[in-house]
Amino acid sequence: MLKEKGSENSPGITFPPEIPTSCARDLEKGAAGDEILKVSDLTKTFGGLAAVKDVSFSVRRGMIKAIIGPNGAGKTTLYDLLTGLYQPDKGTALFEGKSILGLPPHRIAALGIARTFQTVRIFPRMTVRENVMVGMHSRTRSGMTGCALRLPGSIREEAWMEEESMTYLDLVGLEMQSDNLAGALPFGQQRLLEIARALATSPRLILLDEPASGLNAYETRELGEIIFRIRDMGITVLLVEHDMGLVMRISEEILVLDYGEVIAEGTPEEVRSDPKVIEAYLGADV
Amino acid sequence: MREKGSPGRPSFGIPGSSLLQRAASLLGRHLIFVGLAIFLAVFPIWAKPLSRPLGINLIMVMRMVGIYTVAAVGLNILMGYAGQISLGHGAFLGIGAYTSALLALKAHLPVWLSIPVAVVVTALVGLLVAPVLRLKGHYLAMATLGLGIIFYVFMREMTWLTGGNNGLREIPALSFPGVKIGQARDYLRAEYYFIWTLALIVLLLCSNLVRSRVGRAMRALHESEVAANVMGVDVSWEKIKAFVLSTGLAGLAGAVFAHIQGYIDPNLFTITLSIQLVTMVVVGGMESIWGAVAGAGVITFIPKIVEALPKWLGEVPRWVEKYSNYEGMVFGLILVLTMIFLPSGITKGLADLVRYRRNPFVNPFRKKAMEE
Repeated sequence: MLKEKGSENSPGITFPPEIPTSCARDLEKGAAGDEILKVSDLTKTFGGLAAVKDVSFSVRRGMIKAIIGPNGAGKTTLYDLLTGLYQPDKGTALFEGKSILGLPPHRIAALGIARTFQTVRIFPRMTVRENVMVGMHSRTRSGMTGCALRLPGSIREEAWMEEESMTYLDLVGLEMQSDNLAGALPFGQQRLLEIARALATSPRLILLDEPASGLNAYETRELGEIIFRIRDMGITVLLVEHDMGLVMRISEEILVLDYGEVIAEGTPEEVRSDPKVIEAYLGADV
Repeated sequence: MREKGSPGRPSFGIPGSSLLQRAASLLGRHLIFVGLAIFLAVFPIWAKPLSRPLGINLIMVMRMVGIYTVAAVGLNILMGYAGQISLGHGAFLGIGAYTSALLALKAHLPVWLSIPVAVVVTALVGLLVAPVLRLKGHYLAMATLGLGIIFYVFMREMTWLTGGNNGLREIPALSFPGVKIGQARDYLRAEYYFIWTLALIVLLLCSNLVRSRVGRAMRALHESEVAANVMGVDVSWEKIKAFVLSTGLAGLAGAVFAHIQGYIDPNLFTITLSIQLVTMVVVGGMESIWGAVAGAGVITFIPKIVEALPKWLGEVPRWVEKYSNYEGMVFGLILVLTMIFLPSGITKGLADLVRYRRNPFVNPFRKKAMEE
């Protein structure tokens, strides 16, 4: 939770007055508006069941795009394919013009795609700050010899990591918790920690997997603010989410999946009025 | 343990801090280390007068504790930090011991050269079998168990090289250019100092390592391989690094052991040794460098103490004496009790008890008090 229960009227997280420059270091790379991610004909079947089927879409740099769909529509599988956890049966995915399919997850992370998980996967027995420092792994170089002998290079790098990791904790409002064990955080803060850890990889595209699930209304509102912050840092946001209020409020474009297939794509207004979407997903509510 | 809270303390090494501050923080950071070093340095002074009444040759046992410490630290990095079990590490001690002994015996290599070569050879063998790390959990345990058995059979059956069950005898004692440790007048004490200097260096380097980027990556993959991988950690490579490091240290322990012992045979490096090493790691405390020292100490001393008990107590009842292996039973009982009352190991368990003594979930006595 962003704050203790029962203190609903106290101010929530406060943000640093300006965007940390190191977070925004890749802002200049590529102009806003070009295609940062282009997925075509992506297909993945599990024993005859197509979890993702001929999915094609593209994400423009600097936007917030949401992927919605009923449970089992293939949203998380799509994320797993994009981060290298699964290999697709066919299709291509280009990140900044480079194919990322077939690369192992740590290489994709180094290229600039970060993600969070639907079921929180922090490192519970490490401190909050150490969690974020693991996120900085691919941005640092110290090897075994350097670390064991505490060579000047690795001491400097370690000091830099300790300092830099605080910027990400500041961003999600966890700076006071930096030395607590991550597993001891309340659930909502664990979600925020995952976002901070993902940001620490210095990504240009971040894939958020149901970041609002399990959060209360207040926390969800704060989460929306954080997502805007991330976008303002020049990081493109792809968002899988069930909370329609949040999705409709913050996303510029929405992709709708059902049974692994794209059934609609467009602005929130277009999607909301799409009969296919209403039938498949919003039907009961609308 | 100390290595967990490191980022919270003022980080040493930041330019600008004065020399005095730096020295103070260095001392603070290595408080356990300095304390242990001082204890070990003065230990021989009162070890001698104590040894006779206790009926235990303390220096001789402490030599072995030092050797086991080196191996247990490596295994703790693999098991405690990287979370990969190995039930075959006894074999790597064997490989180190045999390599160094054979090099010294057959190739007439000086001991100060044969030991490092043995370490490298053992680490290379570790690298060679590292593909077993693709397996997880119980499967990895089974595979490493198998590796241990294979090496044991090799050592026993390659009679032309290893001497088979008769083993190797008259292995040259420890000696370095100018310093003949093994032939010193008080050679036990000389070996003791050599081994513990080595062990302290290993402890220092490993405690640096686990508090660094590399150590964090290992702990991260222990907790969630998927998350670590997606965060940019090359999971299989980190596992290999931990495994090769641990086999190298096992090789070092084995090589030194061969030269202080003077003879080796395959039956010293069986599954029993592997399990003893795992027990040291678990009893001492997983994910704790100092736990390796505590574990090695406890596991090495308990059998000796149990053995010496009759001398302390005067006479043992006949029915106890009839159980020829009652040492083993006491040993097992102590292990069971440790696991029940200090499941996170001696070092961590005690540290937690002190830190959270008021917490009824940690302190069993509190729990009772609360229930009443």
